[in-house]
Amino acid sequence: MCWLAMMVMLLGAEEATSYQPTYNDEGWREAMPGYSFSFPRDHASHPDCRIEWWYYTGNLVSENGRRFGYQLTFFRTGITLEPKSASRWAVRDLYMTHFAISDGSARRHHVHERLNRAGVGMAGAATKHYRVWNEGWQVSLRGNTHHLVAEAEGDAIDLELTPLKSPALHGRDGISQKGAKAGNASHYYSLTRMETKGTVTVDGVTHRVRGLSWMDHEFGTSFLEKEQIGWDWLSIQLDNDWELMLYQFRRSDGSSDPRTSGTLVDPEGEATPLGAGDFTMSPGETWTSSASGARYPVSWKLSIPEQKAQLEVRAIFPQQEMRTPLSTDVTYWEGAIDVSGTFGGASAGGSGYLEMTGYSGRPLGDSFSSDGRVQ
Amino acid sequence: MPRLFSRFILRSLWHQKGRSTITVLGIALGVAVVVAIRIGNHGSIESFKTATESIAGATSLQITAGSGRFDELLLNELGWLDGLGNVSPVVEGQVLFEGHDGETAELLQVLGIDALRDRPVRSYYLLEFDDRRREPTPRQLLELIVDLDAVIATEKFARQHGLAIGDSFPVVVGDRRRELTIKGLLLDEGPGRTLDGNFLLMDIAGAQELFACIGQLDRLDVRLHDEDSLEEAKGAIAERLVPGLIVEQPDDRFGRVDRMIAAFHFNLNALGSVSLIVGLFLIYNSLTISVTMRREEIGMLRAVGASRVQTASLFLGQALLLTIVGAGLGLLLGRILGEVAVRATTVAVETFYIAEAAVASTASQSLRWSDVGWALGLTIPLGLVAALGPALEASRVSPLEAIRGTGRLASARRPSRWALVVAGVAFLLTTVLVRFPSVDGIPVWGYTAELTLLLGAAALVPLILWSLCRLWEVGASSLPRGWRVPGKLAGANLRDASTRIGVSVAALVVSLAMMVAVALMIASFRFTVTYWLDRIISADIMVRPATLNSSIAESQMSPEALAILASDPDVEAIDTFSTRQARFGDTLVTLGCGDFQVLAAKGRLLYAAPARMTSDDVRRAARDGEVFISESFSLRFGKTVGDEVRLPTPSGERAFRIAAVYYDYSNNRGTVVVDRRTFARLFSPDGQEPSPASAALYLREGADPETTRTRLLKRLGENHRLLLFTQASLRTEVMRIFNSTFAITYGLQIIAIAAAVMGVLGTLYTIVHERRREIGLLGVMGATRSQIRRMIVLEATLVGGASQLLGILLGIAMAVILVFVINVQSFHWTIQFRPPWFFLAQSTVLVILASVLAGLYPAARATRFRSAAELREE
Repeated sequence: MCWLAMMVMLLGAEEATSYQPTYNDEGWREAMPGYSFSFPRDHASHPDCRIEWWYYTGNLVSENGRRFGYQLTFFRTGITLEPKSASRWAVRDLYMTHFAISDGSARRHHVHERLNRAGVGMAGAATKHYRVWNEGWQVSLRGNTHHLVAEAEGDAIDLELTPLKSPALHGRDGISQKGAKAGNASHYYSLTRMETKGTVTVDGVTHRVRGLSWMDHEFGTSFLEKEQIGWDWLSIQLDNDWELMLYQFRRSDGSSDPRTSGTLVDPEGEATPLGAGDFTMSPGETWTSSASGARYPVSWKLSIPEQKAQLEVRAIFPQQEMRTPLSTDVTYWEGAIDVSGTFGGASAGGSGYLEMTGYSGRPLGDSFSSDGRVQ
Repeated sequence: MPRLFSRFILRSLWHQKGRSTITVLGIALGVAVVVAIRIGNHGSIESFKTATESIAGATSLQITAGSGRFDELLLNELGWLDGLGNVSPVVEGQVLFEGHDGETAELLQVLGIDALRDRPVRSYYLLEFDDRRREPTPRQLLELIVDLDAVIATEKFARQHGLAIGDSFPVVVGDRRRELTIKGLLLDEGPGRTLDGNFLLMDIAGAQELFACIGQLDRLDVRLHDEDSLEEAKGAIAERLVPGLIVEQPDDRFGRVDRMIAAFHFNLNALGSVSLIVGLFLIYNSLTISVTMRREEIGMLRAVGASRVQTASLFLGQALLLTIVGAGLGLLLGRILGEVAVRATTVAVETFYIAEAAVASTASQSLRWSDVGWALGLTIPLGLVAALGPALEASRVSPLEAIRGTGRLASARRPSRWALVVAGVAFLLTTVLVRFPSVDGIPVWGYTAELTLLLGAAALVPLILWSLCRLWEVGASSLPRGWRVPGKLAGANLRDASTRIGVSVAALVVSLAMMVAVALMIASFRFTVTYWLDRIISADIMVRPATLNSSIAESQMSPEALAILASDPDVEAIDTFSTRQARFGDTLVTLGCGDFQVLAAKGRLLYAAPARMTSDDVRRAARDGEVFISESFSLRFGKTVGDEVRLPTPSGERAFRIAAVYYDYSNNRGTVVVDRRTFARLFSPDGQEPSPASAALYLREGADPETTRTRLLKRLGENHRLLLFTQASLRTEVMRIFNSTFAITYGLQIIAIAAAVMGVLGTLYTIVHERRREIGLLGVMGATRSQIRRMIVLEATLVGGASQLLGILLGIAMAVILVFVINVQSFHWTIQFRPPWFFLAQSTVLVILASVLAGLYPAARATRFRSAAELREE
């Protein structure tokens, strides 16, 4: 039996070495096909990659029927792979966090942000278990449940998220190709349907809420390329237990980008990748932000012929722009949406989140391109 | 009235150009000195104040350790602070920038921040940063300075030294040389104003590396969310803070430094005021002469209907005019002297108190409105008070008197004996006042005692002058032929004039006495320091980093440099010493840390208490964690052997028993010394012994200090910038610092004397002028020109000699108060009283020589009167 065990171990070793990671000039690991995910290990941080984010959005309803959307996103951007100083303040990573609540009934959008280095423990992302934090804002894993807390100036969330489906890997092997160059990609998976309960506090008033959340986790080293000025991204949870993620890149010359893609998740949790030719996203009515001057399409028409799906997406209210001068210094639109239309020939409805970047000021790509440094 | 003033006063002032000029110049000098000292005092502390203010930014409260740095992990226990405000951790320090010539060295203040947390507290505006905005986002700022050697310098500093973005330049930290690279330029705003642009902004990690304090912070700057609740928040924070940390406002820090230097500044101000007193004497003098000489005219004025009030007002107006013109000139002169004073004062302040004084901004040398207001506000009322006596006398002149022509020179009488009573009361007051304690460490009563002593002596001057002239007349018979008659005449003339010239002689006496007193104090001090140095220097070579000669900059020697020193074959033992500031009550003291074992075996201290301190006593003190205090600490806070001192430690305040009081003249801030083992156990945030700020090397028997020093310097090379002193060179260095500290005091004295000499010159000139008829008569009676010349010169010499004699006597008395009362109260150390005989003899010769010279001009004038008289006779 002994030799068999040896053989199994060797086989395992063989398997592991079939994934050949590549590294950029500064030593950061690039996202390449062949990586095998394992959970909950891969929820935790991947410090060998330069860029990583954990992204939670959700649509919640309070006991008395009040509608809320929320977003809590933790970004980690590597600055120096191995700092030369033993000082705790020596910057290896920057931690940026965006926290927003969309108060659907009041049509008000509450935005907060944090930016820190690890320092004496002000921010960080653990590697051995899943815990990411920035000052008092945190996401951690207890058993199968994700626990989110954030509080700022009278606004807060304290939510428990339990995934109802296993992680959906996007693209091939969970590789989301963002640019033409092989390494310009991310490892990308989502928890597409998470049962959510807890509290949302707005302007000091706490509401008990229930609803659905979506979690994205991406990590890699360089994402976007220069010609990509932005993207439109959306996540949809349909009432018929299907989920849909779509994104399209907008190029500076207005042409369509072959990396535009999406993923369809069926009620059993099976993920099917969608290519650029499998769907269309067309903008509808627009809203102009008086603060940034950006003009965002706040309604979209989606079509996936293969699934006989014709869906209309509409922001629960237009004013959901994120301006983050203190952390990422990018302005984008991120907000809760309602979905209606037909899917598989039957009428379908649902909710989700829409993200539109590159409509104002510096494109988000600047922060996530191969050279992450701000010019 | 204006017409009358113009005719009666202005015209006469014009006629008396010489005297008016001298009076105005005298006042100008007095005002100039006072203003210069104000500028100097202000300048020496101003750079520190602006540094504190501009670095504080919008900080409402600061959290620091009572002494030294604190463990950065304490931040994790202070999470609750976020609820009250934004918290920005800071690492601070100073580095020395060495210019290309290797000669100039400038102090640079380094601020290490976490750009991501600092935004609410401070704003940084950069040159050549972005077309759209000059203020980078926190992230942009961080990325600019994220490299460990990256700094943002000020535009001003870069321009001065021809540096640009991307350039590297060397600095010295402790004994180590480091290269820093400029990544951005700060505009002259906010923190960029610090120390006139001598400011570097770094990332907090880079600053920790630079100052070798990884894991430690200097302070937390807190900007409260609600600024209105400052006091409330301060109280709440103080209550919750972990032991060893304190919370205060940025101003508090400045206040403590200000208090520390207050006595030094007060003493300078007091010395400077003497020159103003001399100026006031001159006003009195000038007016008295005017009134006396113009009695007939005044009588006439009264006869044609001028009232008493009008008459008095005319003369007060004259005083006012002289004072205003003098003060105006004085302000201009003071501005020029101010530059010198700023330099001199900052040298002293930097040597003894704060390193930041070394960078006195050019702005600090300018005249502020407060200086102008102060000069005019003080001089004009005092000038009027000084003129009051003569003005009243003028108002009392009766029309009759003038017509009769009597009472003009009622001077032959002996000076009033009332002076004796006045002097008696003044001296009695003096003896009472010297017993009073200081007020908040400022010797107010000591100086008041000096003033009463001075006034008493001044009151006696005419009487003493009169008596001295009597003596002189008796002695004149034994003068050589040809001098006998002029001698006798000179004595008689002076005796007759003693009341009138008494005031100007008193002015000269006062300024000479001040010079003597200060010279005596400095000589005594110098003697004491030399004696003390001889007793305590036992090490063969003393070592300290080249960074600064400031006693506060916490410059450290690196372990590598220490290892080089310790590995030398001729070095037998090393005693290291480190110092840092510690908060003590509402002021600052020095916390020293030495090796008591080496002290017991090798070292020597001069103990004030207890009477006997053996090596075993020192070891016992080390074992029991007891402390030594310097004499200045003992006198300042009234503590002695057996008492306890409470000092801030990382675990809160702790009490330490005092084992001994030792003499220390290296600084007067008050020093508490603990053994390095006690330090590591109780004061160090990380349990480590502190990096030493200086070291004393004991050499093997027979080793030559000079040879060892040369060898060590060679081995230390360019990488470690240390100063090594042998016993002899240390003495020279100490004396150099000593002399530069007192340079300003000497300068002030010389100016005061110059003003007084002008006064005497004016008086002599007036006397001669007034006696022109009498002198002419002497000529008619057969006196030769040379006899008359001799007579006048002798008069001048007599005035000078008598003034110097009285000056020395009064000066010794004043020095006694300076040394035993004022010095102890403001600097808290005892000085052995040692009169500098050689200096006194030398100055006597100089003063007499100067008076002879001063007599030559009036003498030449007098011989001319004679010719005029002769002509008239023909």
